[in-house]
Amino acid sequence: MDARRVDAVFDALGDPSRRTLVRAIAARGDATATELASELPVTRQAVAKQLLALADAGLLRATRSGRETRYAVTPEPLGDAVDWMVEVGAAWDDRLARLGRTLRGRGAR
Amino acid sequence: MEVEREVVFPAAPDEVWEALTEAERLEEWFANDVELDARPGGEGVFRWDDGEERHAVVRELEEERRIVFDWDDDGQTVIELAEVEEGTLVHVVETAPGFGTALELSAFAWTPVA
Repeated sequence: MDARRVDAVFDALGDPSRRTLVRAIAARGDATATELASELPVTRQAVAKQLLALADAGLLRATRSGRETRYAVTPEPLGDAVDWMVEVGAAWDDRLARLGRTLRGRGAR
Repeated sequence: MEVEREVVFPAAPDEVWEALTEAERLEEWFANDVELDARPGGEGVFRWDDGEERHAVVRELEEERRIVFDWDDDGQTVIELAEVEEGTLVHVVETAPGFGTALELSAFAWTPVA
């Protein structure tokens, strides 16, 4: 598990307006900055900048379509975040089981 | 995003505290090789037999109650103890690197993407 990649996902989704964009794109399947700006109270320029940040974090896949870039959501980075939770959770379950054994071992002495 | 666990051990808080803060005790359950200066600002090095090595700084320490490790990858582990009738309640919270969006993101992550 690459902690830096998870970090980039969290940073990218740390901004409410970026999360709104991800939801809007996920709902449509894919979208361009112009389409998104027309239905959100933000400028096309602001949307384009946020889309670039999300694409850098790997959350969006960009495809050129004529003069515009179309963006679609890539679910894998969110899967990474969930993987992190499962992996770290399992590590703590093991550690706490061992901690319990070492404490019981002491108590018996 | 964070992972949280809560366990009650049939041992007194001071016994559990030793297991959390003394290097040779940590080697019994946390890592294979441990160096730890258990005081605020103290450094810790944790090594595992598979070659993994993690460095931490003790961010907070409250004797027999609470210890906070800041990891070098920006993650954080908070361990809190509370005396209960059956022994000691141990509460662990490990926070992912880049925390700050945890609550919203964990809700978001489970929202079905249409």
